[in-house]
Amino acid sequence: MTEETTVESWQYLSFNLDQEIYALNIIQVKEVLDFTEITKVPKMPDFMRGVINLRGKVVPVVDLRLKFGMPETEKTVDTCIIIIEITLDGESTSLGALADSVREVLTLQPDLIEPPPKIGMRLKTEFIKGMGKKDDEFIIILDVDSVFSDEELVSVQDAEGEMDIVNSEDQPEHIEAV
Amino acid sequence: MSKNIMILDDSPTIRAMMNKTLKDAGYDVIEAVDGRDGLDKLSGSNARMIVTDLNMPEMNGNEFIRSVRVIPEYEFIPILVLTTESDDSIKAVSKAAGATGWITKPFNPEKLLSVVRKLVD
Amino acid sequence: MQDQEYKDMFKIEALELLSDLEAKLLEMKEGYDDIEQINSTFRILHTIKGTGSMFGFNDISDFAHNLETAFDFVRNKKVNITNDLINLTLTASDHMKTMLDAGDENKADNDFISEEILTALNELVPLIEDSPEKHDTKTAGILKSVSEDASSSDMTYRIRFRPSVDIFTTGTNPLLLLKELRGFGECDIIAHIDRIPLLNEYDHKACYTDWDIILTTKKSLDEVRDIFIFVEDSSEVDIDIIDDGTILDKEPKRDKLGEILLDRGDITAENLVPILQKQDEKQKKIGELLVEQDVVSKSKISSALSEQKHIQKVRKKKSGSVLASSVRVPAEKLDKLVNLVGEMVTVQERLSQLAVYEDIPELTSIAENIENLTDGLRDNTMSIRMVQFGITFTGFKRLVHDLSKDLEKNIVLITDGVETELDKTVIEKLNEPLVHILRNSIDHGIESKETRESAGKSSQGTILLSAEHSGAYVLISVSDDGAGLDPDVIYKKAIEKEIIAPGTEMTPKEILQLIFSPGFSTAKKVTDVSGRGVGMDVVKKSVEALRGSVEIDSDKGKGTTVTLKLPLTLAIIEGFLVEMEGDKFILPLSSVEECVELSQENVDRAQGWDFLNVRGELVPYIRLRKSFDIQSDPPEMEHVVITGVDGQRIGVVVDRVIGSHQTVIKPLGRAMKHSEDVSGATILGDGTVALILNLDKLVKAA
Repeated sequence: MTEETTVESWQYLSFNLDQEIYALNIIQVKEVLDFTEITKVPKMPDFMRGVINLRGKVVPVVDLRLKFGMPETEKTVDTCIIIIEITLDGESTSLGALADSVREVLTLQPDLIEPPPKIGMRLKTEFIKGMGKKDDEFIIILDVDSVFSDEELVSVQDAEGEMDIVNSEDQPEHIEAV
Repeated sequence: MSKNIMILDDSPTIRAMMNKTLKDAGYDVIEAVDGRDGLDKLSGSNARMIVTDLNMPEMNGNEFIRSVRVIPEYEFIPILVLTTESDDSIKAVSKAAGATGWITKPFNPEKLLSVVRKLVD
Repeated sequence: MQDQEYKDMFKIEALELLSDLEAKLLEMKEGYDDIEQINSTFRILHTIKGTGSMFGFNDISDFAHNLETAFDFVRNKKVNITNDLINLTLTASDHMKTMLDAGDENKADNDFISEEILTALNELVPLIEDSPEKHDTKTAGILKSVSEDASSSDMTYRIRFRPSVDIFTTGTNPLLLLKELRGFGECDIIAHIDRIPLLNEYDHKACYTDWDIILTTKKSLDEVRDIFIFVEDSSEVDIDIIDDGTILDKEPKRDKLGEILLDRGDITAENLVPILQKQDEKQKKIGELLVEQDVVSKSKISSALSEQKHIQKVRKKKSGSVLASSVRVPAEKLDKLVNLVGEMVTVQERLSQLAVYEDIPELTSIAENIENLTDGLRDNTMSIRMVQFGITFTGFKRLVHDLSKDLEKNIVLITDGVETELDKTVIEKLNEPLVHILRNSIDHGIESKETRESAGKSSQGTILLSAEHSGAYVLISVSDDGAGLDPDVIYKKAIEKEIIAPGTEMTPKEILQLIFSPGFSTAKKVTDVSGRGVGMDVVKKSVEALRGSVEIDSDKGKGTTVTLKLPLTLAIIEGFLVEMEGDKFILPLSSVEECVELSQENVDRAQGWDFLNVRGELVPYIRLRKSFDIQSDPPEMEHVVITGVDGQRIGVVVDRVIGSHQTVIKPLGRAMKHSEDVSGATILGDGTVALILNLDKLVKAA
């Protein structure tokens, strides 16, 4: 555990989502973009807003508000896309996350981070790495790899936090190499 | 190193043929008509290899081979057996006696040389 | 042919021998038992036979052989001397003299007399065979004329030579054998000295060393084996063909150290698997790990390593001639080039658009020039990436060979379409799905020999692996003549696994496709061969990741065919740009046949049916607005892009048709891999993203 935290760094990028403050470990954040036109991909869950052109690469964009069962992100001058790097199927890939606005980069000592409360949260507890506090405000630190795990990317969470989960046993094992 | 090869055969024609073949190839040849004769001529011959017939009067090939193998000087000398039978049991007897390899009659000079070269440098 | 000198010499020798024989015979009488004399009689006949055969007197030699055999029986006391035998042998002796004098003259007469004498002999000594011994062809095999057949290809042998401990005492110098092998060709020799004992147990007469030899030569297996002809009974000599001149060319992946050791039987798969897992963790070389774990000795590793090197060396040499006129480029450089060309194409598209917009003649001409150059650059780059499908065939042959051996099935793999070209990346990514399909065929498709025979089939199963071009696609199919699939069984199982609802109406062919559904695995038990519970759904996913599709067809009892349809290239296609609700989509231009307008009037006239009358032909169409759940009202005049999918004309209704577009394909990313109707994306001249439609899927879903 201690090893992991040193690798992770204590710096976080905080951002707003529907009046709540969330944070991502800075290590996983690649850059922050201004809102740009998103091309919708048909027949994907609503929270998969579409794809954007990131310097010649096609990168999917997720609306975290929809993912977390909040109302859809309204485009404002502050709306931005946080490009994060996640691991899917054992390979790292880029993904954009819509945020209402980006706040700051802050340092949170590990001892100031508390485990998430088991109840009373809008989102699934496994999405949350911990709860930080700064200036009397709670900051929800997200576990991106579990928010964007393979099964989560095809599932839609409704307002009560119930999962419309796709059978996770369908995960393919890798074909044996010859 | 010496280039001496001893050949044993009771047939003068075969001896003549082998003698010429080996000499032409640069070997020196010591001829013997049978096993007894061969053993007599072997000591001090500095032979590097022996080619022997099996059926000979006065000590046949296998007896000869057995006698050679107990002479410390010739413990490891390559011995090639001339046989008319390609029958494995006959080869096995020679082999047990200490023969290194065999060559079946009829053979021609090229065959003889290629086998000889296989067994000596 | 033979030297006349020796012939004359033999005549003299033989006449002497015959006089000697005569003298000995004349001393004999009924019941004679002087073993010395009998032995020397035998020896005379033996010498006549042996020496005669050497100098071309085959008639006499064969004739003497029979008499020799008779006296062999006498000396072994199987037959007694009789007056008749003595007289007959005397006659025979005279006859041999006659033959010696006559040479080739009167051959017919002499043959006749030989025959008569031998018949008589046979009556006296009935045990002997009447036909002369056919000389064994194995006259010390090395002596066979060594053919230097230039056309024969290089063979690579692995020879494991473990001399008997007493090899020196039979006069054999093993080093000479190795020298002889060296003379055959490219040769790597590794000595194993594990057997050398401590000094106090050391016997100077003993040979403690064994050798592994890797030899590449044009010589045949027999010729190589013949080197060991004098020692093969007493020493261990294993010769394996590790390459028959074709594998090295075509199987670049083969012969990892672990495989070599497995192949050599130095380690077992059980040894290897845990080691391979460790290898990942520890970043150590497999050889080091194996030695560390005490699985094999160091010298076995170094021997296997040298085999590996040897093969690489031979392969390099082989490709040397090719190299002269070609250049090897690391795959990454090629990928980089393709990416750059992709960017270039995108920018060029933008320039062309700008030229149209600005309408400056000079700019237009430059834009056209750049367009032409870019086209050429693109085509060229794409062609560099194309690889013949055949390069994978050898690997598959090996797979079939090895697996069928393991399963004790007799299976032959036939390949077709070796020269079919496919994008390098496609070929690489196809390997796993194809291995999986082949394993299924071998394991579940082809029946056991017994089952096949009782079903009236040939005991040998056949798998056909073929590749062919079909438009902008390549069709790759694997057909076996095995047991086939039973749609009823699949249907039941699909209901059981809740893949379909009970009572669903499906054609047998549709039912068969169910085996590609996730969670459908026909094999109940996990076998070594067809993987660990991996179903065909993985195959489907892999193929779809390549923008391809897969289909299965089966005839119960007769066999199964799995067909993969793959795009020729993954990088750039000619696309056809259309617009829907402001969003742009690309259809593969190769599928587009024509465009027609669709007015509300047309729709009304079709009376609710989604069919369009195109010059008298009824073409079904799908509305993308409906497929994509777009709620807003369509424009007054919609457009139908008529496409050909699987030989069927189908219309796709869109808002607006823009036109052809060089499409650099970009993956949608792993996060979007679940999107079915879209197979990729591209970046348009204005920097926005357009999605590439997966027509096959759209049409099937409609």
